[in-house]
Amino acid sequence: MSDIDIKRISYLAKLKLPSEKEEFYSNSLKDIIKWVDNLKKVDTSKTEPLHNVTEKTVSIRNDEVSKSNCVDDVLSNAPERAQNFFKVPKVVE
Amino acid sequence: MSNNWEMVIGLEVHAQLKTSSKLFSSSPNQFGSEPNENVNFIDSGMPGMLPVLNFGCIEMAIKTGYALNFKINKYSVFERKNYFYPDLPQGYQISQFEFPILSEGFINIDSGDNQKKIRIERAHLEQDAGKSIHDIDPKYSFIDLNRVGTPLLEIVSYPDLSSADEVINYMSSLRQLLMYIDVCDGNMQEGSLRADVNLSVRKKGQELGTRCEIKNLNSFKFIKQAIEYEFQRQINIIDGGGEIEQNTMLFDTSTGETRAMRSKEFSHDYRYFPDPDLLPVYLSQEQIDKIKPSVGELPQDKLNKYLDNYSLDKDIAKIIITEKQNANLFEKMISESNVKPKFIAAWLVGDIFAFIKENNLEVNSLNDKTKDITDLLRLISDDVISNKAGKEILPKVLNGEGKPSELVKVLGLEQVSDSGELEKIIDEALVGEEENILKFQGGSDRVLGYFVGKCLKATKGKGNPKLINKILLERLNKK
Amino acid sequence: MKNSISQIKKALIEKKISVSELYDEYLAKAKSGNNNSFNLVIDRENNISSINDSQNRYDNGNPLPLDGIPLGIKDLFCTKGIRTTASSKILSNFIPNYESFVTQQLLNDGSIFIGKNNCDEFAMGSSNETSYFGPVINPWKNKNSQKDNLVPGGSSGGSAAAVAEGSCVASMGTDTGGSIRQPASLCGIVGLKPTFGSCSRWGIVAFASSLDQAGPLTNCVEDAAYILNSINKHDFNDSTSSNHQREDYLTDINNSLEKKIKIGIPSDYLEDVSEDILNQIDNTKQALSKHGIEFIDVEFKTTEYALSTYYILAPAEASSNLARYDGVRYGIREDGESLDDIYLNSRTKGFGDEVTRRILIGAYVLSAGYYDAYYRQAQKVRRLIKNDFQRILNDVDFILTPTTPNEAFKIGDKLDPISMYKNDIYTVPTSLAGLPGISIPSGLSKNGLPLGVQFIGNYFEEKTLLQLAALAEKELSFNE
Ligand SMILES: [Mg+2]
Ligand SMILES: [Zn+2]
Repeated sequence: MSDIDIKRISYLAKLKLPSEKEEFYSNSLKDIIKWVDNLKKVDTSKTEPLHNVTEKTVSIRNDEVSKSNCVDDVLSNAPERAQNFFKVPKVVE
Repeated sequence: MSNNWEMVIGLEVHAQLKTSSKLFSSSPNQFGSEPNENVNFIDSGMPGMLPVLNFGCIEMAIKTGYALNFKINKYSVFERKNYFYPDLPQGYQISQFEFPILSEGFINIDSGDNQKKIRIERAHLEQDAGKSIHDIDPKYSFIDLNRVGTPLLEIVSYPDLSSADEVINYMSSLRQLLMYIDVCDGNMQEGSLRADVNLSVRKKGQELGTRCEIKNLNSFKFIKQAIEYEFQRQINIIDGGGEIEQNTMLFDTSTGETRAMRSKEFSHDYRYFPDPDLLPVYLSQEQIDKIKPSVGELPQDKLNKYLDNYSLDKDIAKIIITEKQNANLFEKMISESNVKPKFIAAWLVGDIFAFIKENNLEVNSLNDKTKDITDLLRLISDDVISNKAGKEILPKVLNGEGKPSELVKVLGLEQVSDSGELEKIIDEALVGEEENILKFQGGSDRVLGYFVGKCLKATKGKGNPKLINKILLERLNKK
Repeated sequence: MKNSISQIKKALIEKKISVSELYDEYLAKAKSGNNNSFNLVIDRENNISSINDSQNRYDNGNPLPLDGIPLGIKDLFCTKGIRTTASSKILSNFIPNYESFVTQQLLNDGSIFIGKNNCDEFAMGSSNETSYFGPVINPWKNKNSQKDNLVPGGSSGGSAAAVAEGSCVASMGTDTGGSIRQPASLCGIVGLKPTFGSCSRWGIVAFASSLDQAGPLTNCVEDAAYILNSINKHDFNDSTSSNHQREDYLTDINNSLEKKIKIGIPSDYLEDVSEDILNQIDNTKQALSKHGIEFIDVEFKTTEYALSTYYILAPAEASSNLARYDGVRYGIREDGESLDDIYLNSRTKGFGDEVTRRILIGAYVLSAGYYDAYYRQAQKVRRLIKNDFQRILNDVDFILTPTTPNEAFKIGDKLDPISMYKNDIYTVPTSLAGLPGISIPSGLSKNGLPLGVQFIGNYFEEKTLLQLAALAEKELSFNE
């Protein structure tokens, strides 16, 4: 097992770990990854991955519109809104 | 010296599909609505909401498969592409990754005088993101999720393109095909068709260089500008001893320049994995076959038909097939009348299209006037009226000012085709023209034109030129 | 006062009690309870019209299947107009404008909700200690150390404690790797995890989509059948919902099973287990043998890989499912200079330690360079585990296992995540295979604490599974 780059992982997960906790999580992750490493022993060369135990869907929609809610239903929990928009600090690209 | 350099370009084209509802929710798929009007709990990524696939999107993908010569896959899988963005409510985009619905297609494009085959690696279905509006307030952005979940077909070409012109030709061909099969409205301004351009440069014959991706170009003009700028930018870097960094670029439409997007602390890692809320899509051959008839005639089929069955000139045929609505109008006129297709085609690409352009009309808006148009064309081809008179009446017919036959009468434009009357006029015209008659008999064809003109003038332009011609020749040869 | 649903309905039909009186008894208990089993108790006013409607139906002689029955609902089910938090700070102000499919069925059948049960944050935990609203206390005490507060198990710990303490007749829980069965076992009640795809996930705050399954926590097996009848329906809006023909789970539940049945006991599950646990299996075996049921030893080949598989797949799905909590559209927003800061601060402060840990694990196992070694490998092993179960279920009708490796432990006792994860050793494999499992109380430990056994059936065979469990329950019933 290679070393865990906790900064990169928390960046991917959009988390800003306080520096004093970085080591805590880093060690914890190392332990868990080491613990699950036993899977590498299993021969799966002839096995297909299983995404889900149900393998065939019965839910495919026809292309039809239904409006089941109003704008306010979607915005009622917004921390900040302006008219019918969600409002956030300016995004710079 | 940039003429030692060549560009290598691959295109990722995002086409919005013209479905009624979204890819995974039943909200309306509609442009130009009030903010957040077309958003439901699925689109806004509320806790516990689940996607349900819209089969309309699968049908449109299959049609595209036929039109772009793809292999249509019976097994495809939706995966999650994980990244954070304010316009992306779920924190991931549902897309296809390892198993796309279409793979290995191609189209032929014009390249100079030749055709070039552009190979297409794959096309997959995915969700569009929402939109942030940055210019209302200096400190805030406003988020409108209406576009969230709009179905996109991302069409990914191989790096087979090697000039801005080829890229434009490729894009127009794609646009033409997608509009023909009625899966995309082709409106680039509204973002219905957008291109990511992957460009690298190399000295002729050398290995591929490092590529940069210019994101989200939504007009032919910008595509051309961006390519030319980026081509030169990369050459300059290498000529200056530098190296190209693999980057995602934005095209600034105001300056015509490309620039790297705000550099990220770490590179992207989308962590694709099969969406556990959705199961793989299995299609039967029967389901795929059933969709084939709805593909209809493609531009190339029409071109062949026009050349072989209607003997059109290639240039004219090409103009007619550019858009399906042109071809539809043309074919409607053929089926409704017995005017020669070639004659119809000439008028269509000439005066009729000119009228449409001048008046800023949709081609489709003439669909209910085809009977009048062909009636008029009939009058012209039967020599009831002259070409010139036809040109005069056409705009009035197109404006709905009256039926062609009535207009001809009202305006007094009927041709004189009575040979007795014409003979009289011609005989008068030949009086005192002995010298010219001798010239004609001496072999000067130019004199014939002179006589025809003189006779036409005498009929005040209403004489049937063909008939005049015929009678004149008889008279002259007898003398 | 632990009456069953059929007893309560009888009393309501015979007018020995009114719907309102019944509701008030449970409401009072829920309000005065000090086990922290509810995140929110619904105001009486909000339920008045439901109570009246229900009473009217009794008066008119046409009550619905669950009419007037006071239920608890795990705070993971979105309930329209009622705060739904997933026991997380980040959702602590969230009021959905929609009702989950499952709770809608329960409402349609006349039940009345007492409140939202505490649970582990986003259902991630096996002791209900990760809740933003504090740990739930198990109503049971260790007879040798009465003062200690014990965990109820998790993640549906509030549901289990509420049913055990009598503040609701039954509660809806969810089970991803044992979150219904394990707390049911530690609180001495019945917990059923139906086959994956039986009960719609629509409107349930997602933890791991390919594993999450709703199910009841009840006082008895018959009550579980009552609830299952209501919630086990095809839902077009959940693409993983099965459309097989559902049975009536209540009729014939107390009839003996028609054919002669065979139960497998996996010997590999019983290595290194305590005497307390072994006793549960022995009790059950003895009790059922009297009914001509045959027991045979079976052996899994994949047991030692189940937890590893689970702790790769569940966090992977969770890391993505929890990406939507960003402080933009709902939930708690923490201040920040830029939008990116808002994201970072809201998420970092909004999630507790265990949730953060699992998001990190998930992001790691899906990231470039590790995907094949961890995530894809785990998906492959998951297929092997499923095949392993199918192999064994070809030979036997059911499988009998302990539900948990130990009795309820002291709050704060297990600090190390891996030893916590090992609590689910007997429940996780079933979840990975998507099979139904039910835990029923089977006896008391030396410390006088409840323990349970788990019966596992074949896909969608909840009907016979419940019949078997009802039979075992009759034989094993113990007094508090
Ligand atoms: Mg791209
Ligand atoms: Zn895309």
